[in-house]
Amino acid sequence: MIKKNYLENLNKSKKPFIIYRSNKGFDLYTNFSKKIILTKNNIEKFINQSTKLKSKNKETDLFIGFFGYEILNNLIGIKIKKQKGLKFPKGIFYKPEIKIKLPKKLNYRNLEIINSNKIFKININKASYKVIFDKFKKKIKSGETYQIKICTKYSNKTQIDALDFFCRLVKSNMAPEAFMIKDNDYSIISCSPENLIDKKNNVITTKPIAGTLKKTKKLNRIKALAFFRKNIKESKEHNMIVDMERSDLSRICKTGSVKILKKKIVEEYKDLYHYVSLIVGRLKRNISSLDIIKAMMPGGSVIGCPKISTLSLLNTQEKESRNIYTGSFGYIKFNGDMRFNIIIRSILNYKNYSEISVASGVVIDSNAKHEFNENYIKAKALMDLYK
Amino acid sequence: MIYIIDHNDSFTHNVVHQFENFDDVICDNHNEINEEKLKKSKVIVFSPGPGAPKDYPRSSNIYRRFKGKKKMIGICLGFQQILHCEKGKIIQQKKIYHGYQSKIKVISENSLFTKNRKFKVGRYHSLKLKEPFVAKNFEITMRCDISNVAMAIENNKEKIYGFQFHPESFLTENGNLLIKKILSA
Repeated sequence: MIKKNYLENLNKSKKPFIIYRSNKGFDLYTNFSKKIILTKNNIEKFINQSTKLKSKNKETDLFIGFFGYEILNNLIGIKIKKQKGLKFPKGIFYKPEIKIKLPKKLNYRNLEIINSNKIFKININKASYKVIFDKFKKKIKSGETYQIKICTKYSNKTQIDALDFFCRLVKSNMAPEAFMIKDNDYSIISCSPENLIDKKNNVITTKPIAGTLKKTKKLNRIKALAFFRKNIKESKEHNMIVDMERSDLSRICKTGSVKILKKKIVEEYKDLYHYVSLIVGRLKRNISSLDIIKAMMPGGSVIGCPKISTLSLLNTQEKESRNIYTGSFGYIKFNGDMRFNIIIRSILNYKNYSEISVASGVVIDSNAKHEFNENYIKAKALMDLYK
Repeated sequence: MIYIIDHNDSFTHNVVHQFENFDDVICDNHNEINEEKLKKSKVIVFSPGPGAPKDYPRSSNIYRRFKGKKKMIGICLGFQQILHCEKGKIIQQKKIYHGYQSKIKVISENSLFTKNRKFKVGRYHSLKLKEPFVAKNFEITMRCDISNVAMAIENNKEKIYGFQFHPESFLTENGNLLIKKILSA
């Protein structure tokens, strides 16, 4: 067991650390012996070499960190024009020397140093959102994309204690892929619910979420399932993502091994229900970590479908960098096993700015006003932490 | 060997796995065709993909070159690609089907499949065939049970087949059987 006040002392010490949700609670990684800042030029080498290191069967035989959205585009050959926004690194990985298990309940509070303007600014207002929305709807009608996610961003000048934010966030919103990173010049706080890659030996799974329903007193899991089944729009979006993820896995998996383990089930969270599927495959021989990452990232459920043409449409439209949003956080072990999520429901703090990005899908029967408000609801859960 | 031409789709590898149940498969992007392997293949498959047939002139060219010489199969966009090359018009439909499961029906006696049989299929298409459509040796053999939109074409003389729906989708019943029958035709 860890000593009382360990977290508090670590937080005070200014030593970088990472906390990632585990089966039973959280894992804390710290004492980083290496920090690799990714660029277009070193990313392939980094991924290839990370799994060639000799494993001593230590729990810290891994690299943990994140890939931003832009670098994942570059990795599959999609260029993004120069964008506005914070000049935040495109990806950072750390080699930890210490891993400590933390309990599910994290007791740390610090109410003193929240310092913000209270009101977040949005980068796209309702009217311009509608313009983009209508443009993409035309592209759906002409068949260039079947589903596309418009990203909006809320930002604010702030100073926060990331650990305090994270502890409060997971208390109200525990998510299976929750994580936080605290380094000297930035922090990330996330309650991501979505696992993109879970690979052990030659078995790989992905667990896309498409479909969200806000909890009410009248709802229960069975009723939520009935809602999703009856709602043709949600069903179609979900079907599309399932077929797309099957295809992404098929690229790297043995013929006939890709199966839907859980087909369109409902998972319950504190404030909402998610419509989820679980897809599994057995990897082909000689598939490298780089092959896996290129096949699966950026995660389809937050981009739209089909991936390549939809990414190209998005990238000509979006003037501001997505930074970490819809990138992936997780780890690669020296033995090649890995776990990665999709970075959504997250706050990036950098240069005294906090930014929260959200997106929702445009399919043929979506409604601009509804989706715009949906985005606001998603962001609000995070903005409420600043109160 | 089966040669699958990928039109940058996010469903192509489902198609690859489905055909791999029956034979060796090579899959290349429509921009990076391997002539040698293409020539060696017994069957050419045109994958689904975004956009319209006119966006893929290379695929049209391949269709024209190998028509009657190899078995050819088109799926979704690939289906439209074949029709486009056969002077069919591909137009936007009013109701758009993306991720949609619908019932379709075999309508022709000349089909490889039993007439009047109905089954559920997965659909991902904005565009459709404008009718009437007439081309030598081609017949529309399946239609949507509700909207009547053309869902399959067969040309059993020159061994050309196309599906507007996605046999590889998890939404399609008996997709593997469908492909098996066409490959052994």
